[in-house]
Amino acid sequence: MTLRLSGVGYRYAGAQRPSLLDIDLDLPDGAVVGLVGASEAGKTTLCLVASGLAPRTVGGQIRGHITLDGENVDAWPMHRLSERIAIGFENPATQLSQVASTVFEEVAFGPMNLGVSRDDVVERTWAALEALRIEELAERDPFRLSGGQQQLVAMAGLLAMRPAHFVLDEPTAQLDPAGTRLVGDAIARLAADGASILVAEQKTDLLAEVASRIVVLGEGRILFEGPAAEVLADPRLTEAGVAEPAAVRLRRAAEVAGLDPVRIVGAIA
Amino acid sequence: MTELRTEGLVHVYGDGGVRALDGVDLRIGPGERVALIGQNGSGKTTLVRHLNGLLRPTEGRVTIDGTDAATMTVAQLASRVGLVFQDPDRQIFAGSVDAEVQFGPRNLGRSGAELREAVAAALDATGLADERRTNPYDLGGSRRKLLALASVLAMRTPVIVLDEPTTGQDARGVARVRRIIDALAGEGRTVIAISHDMRFVAETFERVIVMRSGRVILDGTPAEAFAAEAWQLLASTHLEPPLAARVGERLGFGATPTDASVIESLAAEGRRA
Amino acid sequence: MAERVRLTEPSPHARGVPTFIGRPGPSAVHRLNPLTKATLATVTAIAAVVLGGIVGPVLLVTVAVLLPAAVAGVLGRLLRLSLLLALPIAISAFLVNLFFFPGGEQVLLRIGPITATAEGLGFAIQILVRILAISGAVTLFYLTTRPADLVVDLERRGISSRAGFVANASVQTVPAMVDRAIQITAAQRARGLDTEGNLWRRLRGIVPIVGPVILGSLAEVEERTMALEARGFARPGRRTLLWAPPDSATERIARWAMLVALVALVAARVSGAWS
Repeated sequence: MTLRLSGVGYRYAGAQRPSLLDIDLDLPDGAVVGLVGASEAGKTTLCLVASGLAPRTVGGQIRGHITLDGENVDAWPMHRLSERIAIGFENPATQLSQVASTVFEEVAFGPMNLGVSRDDVVERTWAALEALRIEELAERDPFRLSGGQQQLVAMAGLLAMRPAHFVLDEPTAQLDPAGTRLVGDAIARLAADGASILVAEQKTDLLAEVASRIVVLGEGRILFEGPAAEVLADPRLTEAGVAEPAAVRLRRAAEVAGLDPVRIVGAIA
Repeated sequence: MTELRTEGLVHVYGDGGVRALDGVDLRIGPGERVALIGQNGSGKTTLVRHLNGLLRPTEGRVTIDGTDAATMTVAQLASRVGLVFQDPDRQIFAGSVDAEVQFGPRNLGRSGAELREAVAAALDATGLADERRTNPYDLGGSRRKLLALASVLAMRTPVIVLDEPTTGQDARGVARVRRIIDALAGEGRTVIAISHDMRFVAETFERVIVMRSGRVILDGTPAEAFAAEAWQLLASTHLEPPLAARVGERLGFGATPTDASVIESLAAEGRRA
Repeated sequence: MAERVRLTEPSPHARGVPTFIGRPGPSAVHRLNPLTKATLATVTAIAAVVLGGIVGPVLLVTVAVLLPAAVAGVLGRLLRLSLLLALPIAISAFLVNLFFFPGGEQVLLRIGPITATAEGLGFAIQILVRILAISGAVTLFYLTTRPADLVVDLERRGISSRAGFVANASVQTVPAMVDRAIQITAAQRARGLDTEGNLWRRLRGIVPIVGPVILGSLAEVEERTMALEARGFARPGRRTLLWAPPDSATERIARWAMLVALVALVAARVSGAWS
């Protein structure tokens, strides 16, 4: 099921200028699309628009169309859209519902809202906890977990909705390398299971591992895009205010120094 | 300017609870740039909170220029050790950037030209000079983080501690933070940063302290901390050396924690050939 | 690497609702349905006011508050908490009635222009007993019932999921704010805010702490609302509950009996059958 943005533009309520312009984006099944750009380039806005929160909950004006498998979803209410498209945010604590005294109930919150059978709720919850390797946290108070653990709980909560598409806005921003690794692995597994994921990130090293395509955003527009490896090696990346992956940076440093990078490339592999 | 010491520092939370610090002995001299790395729960956050008195030792002591920190209140220690917290939204309260940055130095008794100068310098360094009258919540998250940094920079403390200064920053933001740290060290101020960005650590700091389970398990230069001999130690606390170190090792060079050192070794090898 | 869990197939580790959800309470009183306990508390509180004299309310409190508290093992806490809760009102009500009871003639004590009368004392004691009864009844409910359980029970009986969510979230808001306030205090102290100095200095410190608590909480509300909507919160209709507190025919009968008894009591009092 492909999520497609066609000619999408967006302006926040009361803003002078649009935050997004002429966005054409495809998110087919099983694809992991990385979204990069300098801070305030529009990554978060694009995530909000793709998930439907903008303009439904956030307000503002949208142009263009969003379709799911060809069907226009512009008129769908938020709760209907949330069964197809899940969105995760950078701050783990604000994603907690605050009404769950255990991680299990927190993750079950979404499926419970869907009104599916209790067995279904329970099964989805355990599956989500296992996929993110946090079963042992099931009884813990989500409020008392570390930021990284909370982020995994939030992701499990999204996973339990069994959406076709995930939109993740810098999910590892506040995580340490171990937490980043966990989230990266989870993203890869979700994609292997057929979900599609749009993930905004500063960590291009992570994207190098999990993303198949990368879209580079600048001042609300798509600057350029393409297969992940190509985009991450593109010299225009640094101009766009995005840090290159460590491997690319090292290789480039060798080239700049007039040295043959082939040995470095060999050592990286 | 200021020397920090911890002697046999132990910290236990609650009554016989978690032993977050298990005997830490450190000496950090003036002008040092120190990175504090380790897993969550290794004791890094607990340690830095002892440096400005937010936490008091269960055993052992912390001294600042020879004076026991226990004899000073947190407000007094704030004039010697500034601490920038990880989450700017747990600190920002003023209606304008300017007012926010003024808060710290005012508490320390600065006023007049001295205050204005400190605030201006802090805003310049963090790229917020044009946003004096902006409401902090009209800034994006990454700029709010720089605002939190500015508000402590303006206090002009001899020691400044940064808790995860680069999380949530884009490439330009990270570069800016690096420039600020270099400038601080150039002024003779001590900079201690908690970070889990190993590349940033290797390229910005001259001393790396690795913590695990409340103890210091490694204390040395980035070259020493990321040399192959240390990898197993790092792995025991779920840390990985930066790519440059791994590449350098594979190519048979000595310790190469930074890209520059890899290039240098490669070039030197080429010259020898 | 551990085996991959395919989300579209049943989990290989098929488990049911975990046992830690809806764990039964430690005593028979804890295990009563929340609505039963709420009914008991309400009926006791109202009956204590309606019953005449002193013996009636005291007996009522003993049977409906102290006895269940003892069974539940919370007697000590109940006494401490309910006294704490009632004390300010109880003391002022007692004193006001002792000294300013209209029509009091039998003087017990004279302090300057005000006099304590025997009638006043009698009335004051009656008021005191009732205040303590209400406080005790409410505290018993609070000590033996998890708020979330009551909300879930009400939701099972038909109140909207949204109302239930608001009720639950309100309870959680306080610890979340307290936590936030603690962290903010640390950050502001690190910027020289004096929380250990004299009172004036400490008062000045309120804005830099309360400010971010409120601002931050408001900013969070927006993000939290988005996250909730993204998890189907605004979906019309009922949601699936994982568990609800059990109820029984006995308890249902008991609840009705309590309500009927209360109505009868009120009717008797109003019609003047009792003094």
